[in-house]
Amino acid sequence: MILRRFVASVAIIFAVVTLVFVLIHIAPGEPCPSDEPVDPAVCSELKQQFGLDRPVPEQYWRYLVALAHGNLGYSFSLRRPVKDALVETIPFTLQLSGAALLIDFLLGLLLGIYQASRVNRMPDWVLGNITLFIYSLPTFWLALILLLLFAEKLGWFPVGGASHPIFCPAGVDSAFCFADRIWHLLLPAVTLGLVGAAGTARFQRAAMLDVASQDYVRTARAKGVPERRVVLRHQLRNALLSFITRFGLAFPFLLTGAVLIETIFAWPGMGRLAFNAILTRDHTLVTATALIASAVVVFGNLAADLLLELADPRLRVRADVTTEIVTV
Amino acid sequence: MPRRSSFFLLGVLTVAALAGCERRGGCTGSYCGTVINAALAEPATLLPPVTEDVVAGDIGEQLFLKLADVGMSTNTVGDEDFQALLANRWEWDGPVTLVFHLDPRARWQDGQRVSAADVEFTFNAYQDSLVGSPFRAKLRRIASVTQRDSLTAVFRFRERYPEMFYDAVYHMRILPAHLLRSVPRDQWKTAAFGRQPVGSGPYKFVRWQSAQSIELVADSTFFLGRPGIRRLIWRFTPNLQVAVTQVIADQADVREQLVTPENVQRARAAPQLKLQTFRGNVYTYMGFNLRAGGDTSKPHPIFSDREVRRALSMAVDRASLVKSALGDLGKVPPGPMSSLLWIWDPEIRQLPYDTAQAGRILSARGWRDHDGDGVRDKNGQPLSFHILVPTTSVLRRQYARLLQEQFRMIGVRAEIDELEFSVVTQRLQSGNYDTSILSRGNDPSPGSGITQSWTRAGFGGSNFGRYYSAEFERQVDRAIAAPTQDQARGFWRAAITTINADAPGIFLYSLENVAAVHKRIDNVQIRPDSWAALLRTWRIPQDQLIDRDRVER
Repeated sequence: MILRRFVASVAIIFAVVTLVFVLIHIAPGEPCPSDEPVDPAVCSELKQQFGLDRPVPEQYWRYLVALAHGNLGYSFSLRRPVKDALVETIPFTLQLSGAALLIDFLLGLLLGIYQASRVNRMPDWVLGNITLFIYSLPTFWLALILLLLFAEKLGWFPVGGASHPIFCPAGVDSAFCFADRIWHLLLPAVTLGLVGAAGTARFQRAAMLDVASQDYVRTARAKGVPERRVVLRHQLRNALLSFITRFGLAFPFLLTGAVLIETIFAWPGMGRLAFNAILTRDHTLVTATALIASAVVVFGNLAADLLLELADPRLRVRADVTTEIVTV
Repeated sequence: MPRRSSFFLLGVLTVAALAGCERRGGCTGSYCGTVINAALAEPATLLPPVTEDVVAGDIGEQLFLKLADVGMSTNTVGDEDFQALLANRWEWDGPVTLVFHLDPRARWQDGQRVSAADVEFTFNAYQDSLVGSPFRAKLRRIASVTQRDSLTAVFRFRERYPEMFYDAVYHMRILPAHLLRSVPRDQWKTAAFGRQPVGSGPYKFVRWQSAQSIELVADSTFFLGRPGIRRLIWRFTPNLQVAVTQVIADQADVREQLVTPENVQRARAAPQLKLQTFRGNVYTYMGFNLRAGGDTSKPHPIFSDREVRRALSMAVDRASLVKSALGDLGKVPPGPMSSLLWIWDPEIRQLPYDTAQAGRILSARGWRDHDGDGVRDKNGQPLSFHILVPTTSVLRRQYARLLQEQFRMIGVRAEIDELEFSVVTQRLQSGNYDTSILSRGNDPSPGSGITQSWTRAGFGGSNFGRYYSAEFERQVDRAIAAPTQDQARGFWRAAITTINADAPGIFLYSLENVAAVHKRIDNVQIRPDSWAALLRTWRIPQDQLIDRDRVER
């Protein structure tokens, strides 16, 4: 069963890569990295050197062969192997997405539980409207507002970057630089996590209320179990199943958001790399970032599904029954 | 729970306190400064012959010296105004032979002496088609470079012309032959040297953090004198707004171009900044495609008619547009040139702003509003075209709208195509457009830019509209060949008058550059063609040092 789903996941990634490869090649635009029109002779020399003047099927075949050998190709806009660029940028995206995910889930979970415990009362109403307001905000707009307010006007946070270029350049590890990294990370992570948290809170509130009407919750209350225990042990535990589904769904949101947030906050991650690659029509780099992103989303969802089955025995039973029926 | 909250709060405060307070370092004295430049884009390589990237050029100024360089006047004729760098003197050995004597004190940063062999090697590399240098065409009139002895390099030209010296020194940065000889020429674009260069300039390469920053440190033994600023950092930002905000928020020291009046206003309000204006090297124009869209063998149905082009030019009130869009930051160029060029002359004859005359010309050419829909037409075809403009330029998009309105006033319909830059480039190169708002950067020589953009030499290259005038080209050739600057000025004036009369484009604005620089930095000299060329002369007085200047590593 797991193997079958793994194979399906790989097939999906392959289809995404193929689609992206074809789309980026048929999209209009010249692969020439410049802010102003460059001499076409210079441009065509560049294309020739990097094999971008060859027919698309040939380029695709070469790409697949290279990929099969673990070679992600060469970026003509960065003039270096794609792998090197990804190795440098992925950790930054992981830091940003990880921090945003933490904010998203912790804050969302707490708000959702609190709202459910105060359902249809003033705190629920106020928080419900606030979360809806934040959830409706475009991420890039929120990012710009937070940047202008907290970085430019108040000066509480740095205006972009991942570390202080003088005090904490690459290779300098210290408690100060760790703090410096967190200082740089806070604003982009909060921006990305806040919008997600608003969604998670609404999701979690609904799940908690769904569970609240179940017989076992009513029984627990009838037995005189303290309210905190009812909420945390009986209600939350079962409502967390939908939370795991939300975990799988969070990956595409985080990766899409990372492209915008990294670009606005000058965060040196994979999202910004992908954004620049698209603008410069760096086919190899675009395809490689799409490959990584689709792998994260597909395997993230696979992991969420497996976790769900692990957490909910009913799903395992249903899966076994289905398998038996098919076998018979 | 309250105890946990307190711990969390304490943790956040500690982190903020640690990160928010800059650490105190130990450097004191006259050479402790750090300058952070808020740069817009990260270069792909720092190897000079294979990149035209602006930031790579700025960093290249610090790492790789030229033999000599233009002075503050940016005069490119003769050799009087040039400043010695790697060559401490030079002489003419006949009409087409120029001899450079290298400064014996000049050293590569690995300790080797800079020699004439390096100069010869550099010229051959720039000329090599395998290297594919974008500067190759600019060196076409140099026949050879040879070494007479270890400190003497001899340049031989194919012909005699006024900008011989400029061509010999301006386009090439001398490279270390002993480090690059073993690198195959067809791999220079991707060579490791380009990400870890060794030069002969006032600064040494320290580190390159991808998508973040490049750091250089002063070479205290630099043979032309120790640079005043100890450390230079180019910090990469994804767009202009973030770059400007970094400088305003005191997280960077220099933003060399603020570009828009709004940014200038913001920077002016920042107490720690001073603003410095210098001549810009970019002009912007709306270029007409004189050939049919996508088919260069056929004339364009509207813009092949010189009179229609003239009428459209006369319909645009360029002075008012500059005033409303740019304020004091822009000027109306007297032709296809930026204010950097010494041929800039507001007295050059230009087409007047005269909508009545524009209307009369169009009517005389058969473009009248026959069907009363407000748009002129001829043989059933409306006088309508598209303006191609890149989405990345707020200013040009704004201009497209202003132009659209001005054309509407004389019964001409203009539609705006806002497209991604790579698509604009593709459309320009294939000739598949009507008009486009383009910006052009000039180097200090009027000859190279104008020739590439407005003569037959630029067909298939940067002359996207395929403008050709035999008269104009003759005048340009005479100007380029004129023996003195005064004579050249006269020929240039005639040439620019010709192209203005032909109106292959509407020359909209030339931006004046305004740099925002931290007030603690002293002796800020900015050469108009390259703001970073004289960075080594900048200083931060000892009593003005701040924490980031003092930090030791």
